[in-house]
This record gives sequence, structure tokens and C-alpha cells, in this order.
Amino acid sequence: MEIRPILSTLMRHKTAAALIVLEIALTCAIICNALFMISDRVAQVQEVSGLVENELVRVQITSIGRDPDEDARTRSDLAALRALPGVKEATVVNQVPFVNSSWNSSIRLSQDQQRPTMTPTMYMAEERFLETFGLKLVAGRGFEADEFRDASAVMSGAGTGDVAAAIITRTMAERLFPGESAVGKTFYNGPDVLVRVVGVVEHLVRPSQMGGPTAREYSMIFPTRPHYNLGGNYVIRTDPERRQEVLDAAVRTLRANGTDRIILDENTMTFEELRDRFYQGPRSMAWLLGIVCVGLLVITALGIIGLASFWVQQRTKQIGVRRALGATKGQILAYFQTENFLLATIGIVLGMLAAYGINQVLMSKYELARLPAYYLPIGATALWLLGQVSVLGPARRAASVPPAIATRSV
Amino acid sequence: MFGYYLNLALRSFRRNRVLTALMVLAIALGIGACMTTLTVFRVLSGDPIPHKSDRLFYVQLDPASMQGYNPGEEPAGQVTRLDAEALLAEKRGLRQALMTGGGVSVTPGQEGLPPYLAGARYTSADFFPMFDTPMLYGNGWSAEQDQARARVAVLSKATNDRVFGGANSVGQQLRIDQADFTVVGVVDDWRPTPRFYDMYSDRYGELEEVFLPFTTSRDLEMGRSGSMDCWGDSQGDSTQPNAPCTWIQYWVELESPAAAGAYRDYLMNYSDQQRAAGRYERPSNVRLRNVMELLEHNRVVPNDVVMQLWLGFGFLLVCLLNTVGLLLAKFLRRSGEIGVRRALGASRSEIFKQCLVEAGTIGLAGGIIGLGLSLLGLWAVRQQPASYAELARLDPGMLLLTFLLAIAASVLAGLLPAWRAMQVAPALQLKSQ
Amino acid sequence: MLDMRQVAKVYRTELVETHALRSLDLHVGEGEFVAVTGPSGSGKTTFLNIAGLLETFTGGDYLLDGVNVKGLNDNQRSRLRNEKIGFIFQGFNLIPDLNLFDNCDVPLRYRRMPANERKIRIEEALSQVGLGSRLKHYPAELSGGQQQRAAIARALAGSPRLLLADEPTGNLDSQMARSVMELLEDINSRGTTIVMVTHDPELAARAQRNVHIVDGMATDLSVAPGLARAAHADIAAASAEA
Repeated sequence: MEIRPILSTLMRHKTAAALIVLEIALTCAIICNALFMISDRVAQVQEVSGLVENELVRVQITSIGRDPDEDARTRSDLAALRALPGVKEATVVNQVPFVNSSWNSSIRLSQDQQRPTMTPTMYMAEERFLETFGLKLVAGRGFEADEFRDASAVMSGAGTGDVAAAIITRTMAERLFPGESAVGKTFYNGPDVLVRVVGVVEHLVRPSQMGGPTAREYSMIFPTRPHYNLGGNYVIRTDPERRQEVLDAAVRTLRANGTDRIILDENTMTFEELRDRFYQGPRSMAWLLGIVCVGLLVITALGIIGLASFWVQQRTKQIGVRRALGATKGQILAYFQTENFLLATIGIVLGMLAAYGINQVLMSKYELARLPAYYLPIGATALWLLGQVSVLGPARRAASVPPAIATRSV
Repeated sequence: MFGYYLNLALRSFRRNRVLTALMVLAIALGIGACMTTLTVFRVLSGDPIPHKSDRLFYVQLDPASMQGYNPGEEPAGQVTRLDAEALLAEKRGLRQALMTGGGVSVTPGQEGLPPYLAGARYTSADFFPMFDTPMLYGNGWSAEQDQARARVAVLSKATNDRVFGGANSVGQQLRIDQADFTVVGVVDDWRPTPRFYDMYSDRYGELEEVFLPFTTSRDLEMGRSGSMDCWGDSQGDSTQPNAPCTWIQYWVELESPAAAGAYRDYLMNYSDQQRAAGRYERPSNVRLRNVMELLEHNRVVPNDVVMQLWLGFGFLLVCLLNTVGLLLAKFLRRSGEIGVRRALGASRSEIFKQCLVEAGTIGLAGGIIGLGLSLLGLWAVRQQPASYAELARLDPGMLLLTFLLAIAASVLAGLLPAWRAMQVAPALQLKSQ
Repeated sequence: MLDMRQVAKVYRTELVETHALRSLDLHVGEGEFVAVTGPSGSGKTTFLNIAGLLETFTGGDYLLDGVNVKGLNDNQRSRLRNEKIGFIFQGFNLIPDLNLFDNCDVPLRYRRMPANERKIRIEEALSQVGLGSRLKHYPAELSGGQQQRAAIARALAGSPRLLLADEPTGNLDSQMARSVMELLEDINSRGTTIVMVTHDPELAARAQRNVHIVDGMATDLSVAPGLARAAHADIAAASAEA
């Protein structure tokens, strides 16, 4: 198949050829980036949280005004919840993953550091925290009984003098103490509270997306027992089939433990529902991007079909002459497929450059990562395929032009 | 002649149904995508208080300790309680108010209505006149009531409807947390988009349900919400007056935008005084931004929405390129007819006009269908759980823009094909059929 | 009516210069019926295109109904073409999407004629060619002869001063050809100037005067038809010798 004559024919139809090339280039550029963003969103939606989500439910509760007995009430709440049938574990905590608010604290590796090392999120845990959430320890140990303090005592400044203990995530350990075991190491929470790491869990995400993707698992757990007015989260672990039953029972129990409290029904649900709601944004964006990709491919295909059909009609006489001179149907077909392949190639090359350009802009303005190189061949293949399939119809019509057309003068 | 060309265009569409349908569909998709994303963007990026936004200013000071200090960096996003109350007492602006968010339990007096948690705003008297809140009943409270820690409340229309059935509740009692409050006013329908006065709450959410004096809220130790940033030991209560924590928003209304310079000087003087008194450690570093500058600085429009806008434009561009190609094919396919018309006396510009009318008609048809598609798209947006979702609606301005955009885009797309069509030389076409 | 003096037309590409017309002198008086003949490649098509203001020329002068055509821009030429000239093509060139009424309407529209005047003229023209009952028919529904007559009606509707016909019977069988020629003669008898390009000597004989174009130049053969054939042969021989 001679490339040069095909190219020179295209040069004589510069406008239409340029249109196809531009359309393919633009579609390629957009699709490469869109596919990347889709995979990024999908990765977000599928991330590992570290929790046994399918076994957990959450109730959010608050008191009407101040509750002078909040610590005692919390303890009686927990006792009642743990006694419910089907409940494996129950705990109270200041925050849970998959919500948009969080408690964060800046930490430093040495006290005289000017800038904080990082700002992880802070989970206030009581005795059954690790077991309720199903977190996996990969180094060190859980908290010991004497390490726990009441949060209300700690926050009112009844100073301890003890070195506070903390459990951190593996990601955070890697960042703070790269290559070493974090167990036994210390850091400063806030300006002057020394904290020792006693254990490392495999995964625990922070509640919100604060800090971006790198900071997703910068979480630390403190043995400070919260009361129910610090965030108001009761988390219960049960069998997956009994979740709704346990949730209803828990709400009834908590209501029965005092009428001066409000249960926030719109935030009381299973963790699966919580996670689902939290990721609605990225999920919708991924769907939207997918629809846009499909739409672009359809539109480009229609454009190619339209212009190719036009060219075939314009060159009917010429095709007839070629056939009269001995070209087979297959050779006519191959001609048009090759022509389209050439145009698609030029378009794809331009499209890749544009894709990188677009990616640069997205990186600088919207904190996107760099487009991995393997997206380019994916986009290229998609568009080559699209072009070849689109031109097939018109090319077959060209191939069936009868040679007799050559002899007709009008 | 326009009517004649319109007639010819319609006939041509009837003869080439499939091709015309494809072109109309392509434009419709592009317009639909573009208008959906543009509408959402416009809703989110508009000026929430256009008649005043250049006279309302947000104050930022730098009270933190030297630890972590970087010269030239942005100061804290909110102010401390001490600074807010001090500035409020000095009253240097035309009007000023401090405010923060909170959550309170509302216990309706009526039987059968259980207590519920309501979003609150703790603020001072000038809030209502400063932001020109439309009042349905009554008014805000007075500065004296602020001083007196009066137990007065202003309700939103939604709260008033829920608790009092929509009646004029001014003077009525309402149990909030564990105290009884007197209703002094009800805010009419008001949904500033975005809720600019507090960048640390749901920016596109609904209005707070209850407005209470800040002084009263501290008196009763009511629960706060929003962002709190402490750089030192707050001794257990980060809301007490001397706490080293920023958690309050401070707004001031000035006589004119030009008065901003003088007010900024005042803030610098204040910071210098605080440093002299040993409270501030850092060099004076203040910010005074008006509403739009604040929104811009905080990048209020979510990234996803901006990216969707660019996607919409990209999609429209591809659809337009498509249309250019299809129009080119359509016009040049009729070279024979164009040649005849030229021979019969049509000048080049007449052929050009005829082609543009055809392109514009396709644009109009595409615009109609595109309008339907954008209504569908906006419906889909409204199903999202985002707080701004229900604001995604087409207004008359955007409706008109849809058609204008569709026609303009298709005429633009038709320029190149029309120019090529008018170049068709009459002589050559006539002999070779 | 049609006054060409030393008109020349050169086609230039990068490598080749083609002299389609060299110093063509041709004069057609008002009300004449002139046939233009010549072998293929002689330039008669080019002559027709220039006469009909479809092409520009590179040398000489052309006056159409007293108007000097040189220096007119495209808009002006289009106006002139629309008002003064009617075309009849070998391939009819009716617009297939439009019915006969709308086909005849086309040149009148470009003249911005009001609707009722257009209606009167079209109906009159179509009945003059014998198609008054087929206003709403489409070209595809008519025979070749009827289509050519419709094309003639289209040419007539604007009351042109000059009719230019290019092989008007080339695509018709002999019976239809005869009826079209009769129509043309009838139109000419009512005062319309007709210039007809043809390669058929029988048709050429029906004109009042023949002009022969060979190698881009014209020779007038205003003699009786029978002698015209002999003169053809002489000139062909002369140019073959030269």
C-alpha cells in the first residue's frame, strides 16, 4: 500500500482532512485525561479504610443543652448497648471515617521545630476501640488499662506528667520514622505534650479528605475516653445480617436512657451507607466522565462516517476507474482503511501532546497527579479502533462501486 | 430572502433526514453538556450580595505564637474571641459584627413535636442590617440586648414554619437548649449563594435555623460548630475569652470601597498595640478582603465543578468540529446546485448567506433539543447529595443564552463550509455532472 | 447585443500555459439566432462561459448589451447575468429538490422580485413552453424533453436579453430534439437573441448564422446552410494545412 499517493490525495482535501485530524486529536486528549481521572476516582471509592465496614453501625446523639453527667451517662449507654442481643462490640468515639468534619492536631518530631511535621487526625478511643473497628495491629500492642484517661479530665488541663501513649497507622509511621520500627519512638503533640508510640495499625483512614491523598491515613489514636457529647458517635459491631435490627434496638435503648437527648436520624446508619454517601461525589464524577468519554467517541465516529461517506461519493468516478483498471474490492477497501489510519495517527500524535498539556494544567490548578504514560497507548488504540470501525461502512460502499461507472460520462 | 433561504434549508433537511438529524443531535449534545455545567458553575460562582459586596469586608489578624512563623504567609482564617470583642467595642466601621456557627436543641412547645438539633449562628446586632437580611416578621436584636445577654432569638422561615406553623411568632417563647428565648424576628426566604459569611461551614447549605446573640451563647455555654484552630494550651475551654484559639468570623461594613485603606491601617495599629502589650508575637500581618475577594481566595467553587465546566466546553468544541465537517460535506455535495444558482445570477455572498441560514437553522433545532438535554442534566445534578444540588436550576437568562449559544455556535461552525461553498465556480460544475 | 473583440483566455498552471481562446472576434446583433460550432477542444465551451459571465478572460473586450464587462466585480457580474442572460444546458441542470415552479423561481428570487410578479411570470413562462399544467411536478417525474423545456421556461421567466444554449438537444432523442428546436425558433421569432453552441451541423443549419471556432479563433460563416457545410470542410482543410 503506497502511502505517498494517499497522503498527496489528502493534501488536496486539506480542510476535511484537517477537521478529522483535529476532532481525533481533541477527543484523544480529553479521553486520556478523563480515563485517568475515572481511575483516580474509582481508586478513591474503593480505598481500604481499615474498618470492618460491613459489620458496623453508627448512632449519632447529642444532649439538649449541657449534660453534667455526660461521663456517667456514656458508661451506662455503653453497658446497655453491649448487653443488646447480637452486639459483638460497642464503643464511643469522637469521630468516624466518611464524614466531613474531623479533629486534627499538629505534631512535631522535636520540640524546637518551627514548622509542624504533619497534622494527622486524632481519634479519642476508649477500651474497646480497636476491637469494635476491627483494626489490625502490625507492630507493638494495643493500649493497656492504666494508659486510659477520661477525655474530659485531659481537656480541662488536669495535667498528667505521664508520657501519653498513642497508636499510629503504618503510613504515618513510615513517614515519621522511615525504615525503622515506630514502636517506642516519640513525637510532640501540639507544642509540648510528649507522646510515645505503643502500636501501629495497618490501616485507618481519617474522616475527611483533608490534607489530600498523601495524608489520607495520617491518623493517631489516643487512649482518652470521650463522652458522648464529644462528637456523639456510638459505634456498634454486629453480624452483617443483623445490622438493621441492632441499629433499631440501639436507638431505642439510647432513647430510653433519658429524654433530654436527641438522636440525629439523618446521620444514624450503617457504615456501608455512610461510606456510600461519602463517596457519592467521586462516584458521580466518575460516571459523568464515563458518559462524556462515550459521548465523545460516538460524536467522533459520526463525524468520521459523515466525512468518509462524502469522500466516497465525491470520488465515485475515480473508484470506478480504479476498478476498471484492475483493482479488487479488497484493495479499494484497504485504500480507505489506510487513509483513515493515517489521519487517525496524525490526530493521535497531536492528541497525546495535547493530553499532556491538559494534564499539566490540571496538575498545577487541581492537584491531580501526572498522567501515567500507559494511558496514551490506551487512548491511541481506542481511537484507531474507532476510526477503522467508523470508516468500514463507507469503505465497503466504495468497494461496491461498479467498474462500469468509469465509462459513463455524465 | 431570509424566508426563502429558511424554506430551502427546511426542504434540504427533509431530503437528508439522517444527516440533518446527526448534525442536530451533535449540536444538541454539545449545548446540553455546556449549558448544564455552565448553569451549575454560574450558580456557585455568583455574587451572593451584589448591591453591597464591595463594601463588606472580612477581617483577618495574625495572633499566633512565633512557632511555625513564615514571613509573608497568610494569617489565620478567623479571629480570636478577644480580638473580635475588642474590635466590636471600638466600632470603627459603619457597621460590624462577629459571628460563628453552633448547634442547639430546639424544643417546640406544641405537643407532638419532638426536640431536634438545629444549626445556629451566634452573632451580634449589626448582622441583620449589615447583610440586609430580608425580615418576614419583626427585626434583629439591638446592641443593648447584646450587652445584656438577652435571651432573644431570630428564626429562619423554615424554623418558624416548623414550630409556629408560619404565623407571626414575634413575642412568643421558644425553648432552646435548656433556656426559654423570646422570638424577636423571623428571616424571610434568604439563601445567599454561597453562604459567604462563614467559609468554615457548609458553603452552599441552607440558612441557619436560629440566630442568637453571641454573648448569650457564651453565657449558656452553647455548643459551637465550625473550625477551631488553637496554637497553645487552652486550659480545657477553648471558647473562653483569653483562649489562644481562632474560631470567630468578623465582618465590617464600610462607607465605600475607598475606605478600606484607612480601615486596614487601623487593623495594623491594633496589631502593633497588641504586640506592644505582649499578646501578639508575630509582626503585624492583616488581611481585609471584600466578599468576592474572600470567595476567590478561598476557592469557593468546588474543583469538580470547574473541571466539569471545562469538560462541557471541550465537549461542545468537539461537537462543533463535527458540525463543521458535516456541513462541509453537505454543502459541497450540492456543488452542482450551487453552480446552477451561481449561473442563474446568485452572487457569492448570496450563496454564503444561504449556507449560513442553513447552519443557523440546524443550530436552532439543536438548541431546542439541547435545552431539553440541559434540563435533563440539571435534573440529574439535583439528584446528587451535594448541598448545592437543589440550586441547579435554569433561569430565564440561561434559557435565552442556550439558544443564542446554539445559533452562534452553529453559524460559527458554518463559516468555513459556507466560504468553501461560495467559492464553487459556476463554469466548472456545469459541464461535469 | 454580444460584442467580443479580440478576447483571449489563457489558463496557467505551474508548468503549462493553455491558450483556450486567442483573439476571438464575435458580434451578435439583437434578435439574431447564431449557432457556434467547432471541434472539441476548440474553445467553444470557454467562449460560452465567458459570454455568460461565468468566467473572466485575460485579454480583449466584451460588451454585453452595451455594458463593458471588464472590471466588473463578482456581485456586478452576477447581477448582469441574472438580469440579461438565460442559460440552457445540455444536462438541463434543474434542481432536483424543487418542483418546476420553484425551479423557475430561482433566478427571480435573486432579483428580489415581489411574490405576485414572480407568480405571473413563472406561470406564463411554463405555459409558453407547454408545461402550464405541471407546475408542481418534480424534474424526476418528467421526460428529458419536458425537463429541457422546463429549463427553457426558467431561462425565459426573467425576460432575458440573451439566451445562451449549450448543446440543448445533446441528451434528447430526435423527436424531443425537434420540439425543443421549434421552441427555440419560436422564442427567437419573438425577439430574443439566441446563441447556441452545438456540434451537430443539422442543428447549426437551423440558425440564421454560423460561427466556427477553431483553435481559439472564430470564423464567421454567414452563408446559406447548405454552403455552410462545404465552408466547414474548406476551413478545416485550411487549418490542417497550416
